Amino acid sequence: MNKQSVRWLLASLLVLTFLLLPACVAPATTVAPTAAATRVPATAVATTAPPSTVPPETSAATVPNCGTDPVVLNAYFETGFDLPFKLAEEFTKQYPNVTWDIKQDQFTNLINSTPRLLSGDNPPDLIRLPTMVSFAKEGLLKNLDDYATAFGWNDWPVPQLDQNRVAADGTRGSGSLYAMGLNYSLTGVFYNKTLAAQIGMTEPPKTVAEFDDLLAKAKAAGLLPIMQWGSAKSGMGLAFPLQNLMAAYGPVEPINDWIFQKPGATIDTPSNLLAAQHLQQWIENGYFPPDINAIEYTDANARFTQGEGVFIFNGDWENARYDKDMPGNVGFFLFPPAEAGQPPAAMSAPLTFGIAAKAKNADCAAFFLNWVATNEVARQINVTVGGSNPGGPSGLPMPSVPAGSVTNETLAAGIVIGEAGTSMDFIANATSAIFAQGWTPELQKMVGGKQDAAGLLKAVQAEYERELSE
Amino acid sequence: MMKIGYGELFWGRALLLGLMAFTILPFISIFVTALHPSGTVPGGLEWPADPQWGNFVEAFKVANMTALLASSTFIVIAVVPVSLIISTMAAFAIGLLRIPGSRVLLSLFVFGLTLPFGGIIVPLYYLERAMGIYNTRLAIVLPLIGLYMPFAVYWMRAHFVNMPAEISEAAKVDGASTWDLFWRIHLPLARAPIASLGILMSVWTWNQFLLALVLVEDPTQRTMAGALGAFQGHYATDIPLLCAGTILILLPTLLIFVLFQRHIITALLQGAVKG
Amino acid sequence: MTKSDNRPAAAAVSRRISRSKMVRRETIIGWLFILPALLMYATFVLLPLLLSIQYSFFRWNGIGPMIWVGLKNYRTIMEVPDLLGTIFNAFRLVVWFSFIPVGLGLVVASVIHRVATGRFGTVARTVLFLPQVIPLVAAGIIWGWLLALPGLINQVLRAVGLGAITRAWLGDFDWALPAVGLIGIWVLLGFCTVLLSTAITKIDPAFYESARIDGASWFTEFVKITIPLLRHEIGVCLTVTVIAALAAFDIVYVSTAGGPGNSTAVPGIQIYILAFTEQRIGLASALAVMLMVLVLIVILPIQRLSREST
Repeated sequence: MNKQSVRWLLASLLVLTFLLLPACVAPATTVAPTAAATRVPATAVATTAPPSTVPPETSAATVPNCGTDPVVLNAYFETGFDLPFKLAEEFTKQYPNVTWDIKQDQFTNLINSTPRLLSGDNPPDLIRLPTMVSFAKEGLLKNLDDYATAFGWNDWPVPQLDQNRVAADGTRGSGSLYAMGLNYSLTGVFYNKTLAAQIGMTEPPKTVAEFDDLLAKAKAAGLLPIMQWGSAKSGMGLAFPLQNLMAAYGPVEPINDWIFQKPGATIDTPSNLLAAQHLQQWIENGYFPPDINAIEYTDANARFTQGEGVFIFNGDWENARYDKDMPGNVGFFLFPPAEAGQPPAAMSAPLTFGIAAKAKNADCAAFFLNWVATNEVARQINVTVGGSNPGGPSGLPMPSVPAGSVTNETLAAGIVIGEAGTSMDFIANATSAIFAQGWTPELQKMVGGKQDAAGLLKAVQAEYERELSE
Repeated sequence: MMKIGYGELFWGRALLLGLMAFTILPFISIFVTALHPSGTVPGGLEWPADPQWGNFVEAFKVANMTALLASSTFIVIAVVPVSLIISTMAAFAIGLLRIPGSRVLLSLFVFGLTLPFGGIIVPLYYLERAMGIYNTRLAIVLPLIGLYMPFAVYWMRAHFVNMPAEISEAAKVDGASTWDLFWRIHLPLARAPIASLGILMSVWTWNQFLLALVLVEDPTQRTMAGALGAFQGHYATDIPLLCAGTILILLPTLLIFVLFQRHIITALLQGAVKG
Repeated sequence: MTKSDNRPAAAAVSRRISRSKMVRRETIIGWLFILPALLMYATFVLLPLLLSIQYSFFRWNGIGPMIWVGLKNYRTIMEVPDLLGTIFNAFRLVVWFSFIPVGLGLVVASVIHRVATGRFGTVARTVLFLPQVIPLVAAGIIWGWLLALPGLINQVLRAVGLGAITRAWLGDFDWALPAVGLIGIWVLLGFCTVLLSTAITKIDPAFYESARIDGASWFTEFVKITIPLLRHEIGVCLTVTVIAALAAFDIVYVSTAGGPGNSTAVPGIQIYILAFTEQRIGLASALAVMLMVLVLIVILPIQRLSREST
């Protein structure tokens, strides 16, 4: 055989293999909860008491429920987050007449497909909502006010439901309820305990000045004070400390008004200018990694867990990773206020789920949402898998967390924020593009020395107004 | 030939060696990095004390490589033969039959050569939604066939234009139909350019990123390159693993290149010069 | 270039039978041959192209009603610096993706021709060509790692005593675009080199022999013979690489996503963000139309120049 024919033989073999392979391609799109379930630490679930069902004071006759006939809940979840799948699995265990038809999609795609799904022929009973105002306004989402009355949700601690309310004029924060959170994430400052001890930090700072002091000590000790991400690929992580500083220098209400698009709201306020100037000072002092504009979200976390950086601004959704990668060596505190004695503030957002206006099993879906927040096993799964506060009535005990887990600290901090009423949504969520077109490029410019504090706020406000005017 | 000075010989070869190093070093760097323990941030070119060959196995698993290979292969199989047949038929009609309107048609196809994919990706997304093929492999396959037509038709036409007229005339005298003329006489003669075109389109399909990214949500239903984007998103933390995954994903095209090296180079060149 | 069509039409044989009937029949069959290709091309390329133009005159979020806004989207692009800036960035990329690979490719091709005609030249060409066959996404990932703070580039710089200039190249305002450009050079140099070096071997050796007998230096030979005679191939290289620069997406998406602060944002990236993150379909389409017109405007003169007879 000559060289040429060997090649053709190889080529035809390749073609043959190619022809045979597609036979093993599994159909996708409809994926049930999978083997991922095995990753939950078995102990956490096993130690909890047998399931209790509906809160005792509500009688089954008057409250919406899933009945006893077979129900297939049509659900749409976000790819990559185990929590809803685990909860669905447990729900079926407790209510065997309910099974699930779960489709999943990436978050960015959900933004595109949600309107089609809500208005389509098979509207979902339960769907992860990327945004909600426009859907609520167009009547595509079920108004949950009646369920809120029936289940007593209105008695839950106030901030939980507010972010899911939409008023008739399209502003968020008040009005009718259109969605519920599966849980409520919390952000703040994580720290590396070994490095913190090295710079003499014995307890979390009580004021911004104390925090400044720690940063200066870390810098002097040759450590990186704050690890943070900033690449355009994952979005600018400096939005976290910036918003924390804003809430330290001023009240949270104007910030929330801006995020909720209240008429006349502006981000360009005197107290926010102080915050932005403070951040700029940190940048100029070299408190962030020099290559921050090239660091992606996952990189920053990896470098932090490997011991680079005393602090990192992040949210409790990373608890599980931090616990695993730096066991016993990670702590958490809320960003301190400007003056001692003031309450701390924090960004906190619900993991939002809604019900389509035309959903077939709306009652059962609402019952599920109530169950997630009130059922003991569900709350346990929520904390173990999601790492965040499961919400629900204030009287319920917090699920147990393994000693030494940073989740203990974030849950305790959540209670502080809940009592103070100082939770905020993210400034990155004000409009769909404000993060990609406003905060990220402008903060990157600030890192590069091409933008100052006043210019930053003006540029972002201009982008905000341009988007709202369209 | 005239003699060439030693100085020029030295500097010329030094330049070539330098550029070859510039080309090769990145490959070596990610290969070495892929052998470091997963989760570390190794230096660019240092050989690991304990090479972790298992990283490739691990990357194969986490990247769901079996499904990816199957998916990419399916897409190539669906795109390339169809594109070859219909473009060759069209080129036959334009270049050999020269039906009225050939010139206009040719210009229409040539115009497509300058079109950036980014220019039509947005309407394509909404079009495919309306057609109900969004988020299936067809969402990649059908537009790719369409997008290859300008190059493929132009390429095959260049072949047919150069075929001596006597061949066709002799066949017609023998009473061959147009289809016979195409299928029995000209197709076998066009084997070489068709083979080159096939290899080219396979490599391009395998490497297609934007269409896969936008039109198919599930990474395991995408092309290799499209899946690599998703892989990067999930495993950016782990540089050795990311490097191992990258190597696995570019290995198939590199192998094909090494196997069909002469074919690909001449194919690309002819194509470019003709274009 | 396009082969001249000067041979007699294939239908010459048909004189024996009714000529016109035969021609008509062949025309119909010919169109049937073209139909599948034309149909796919029209449906998945030309129709979206027309839709792009249509969308560009509307305000549309992809869900609600489309609202006619005339030329407003185009005005917005001209007025918002970050949008117009993507077009300038695309032209800056042309320097890196096109001028440097073509220029360097010419030099390398002529060097190979003079000092490495044998096996060494073949190996060099093959090696330089390697990056051309891997996915651009992979190129972006590989270089993303090489150009990072702990990556190879900075290691080499430190090794040669240039530790002071090390940085995260892709995160630096002044260097991110040249760094992306470097990736383009890596990918495209091989293509230009191989194409030009094949073309050189086709030049009549008599030109070079007489020049060398006259004792011409490499440079004289390069300027007086190689460049003028390779005019067409240079045109091809420029066309391919300029399109690659103006339409860049994969490499930028993977290496910088347009950052830092829009300094590497190119139209392809901006179209993607406008359409799929921001749901501003009209604006995205207007930018897409501008991009396509721009490519044509740049390509046509190159084609004309390279086709002019010498």
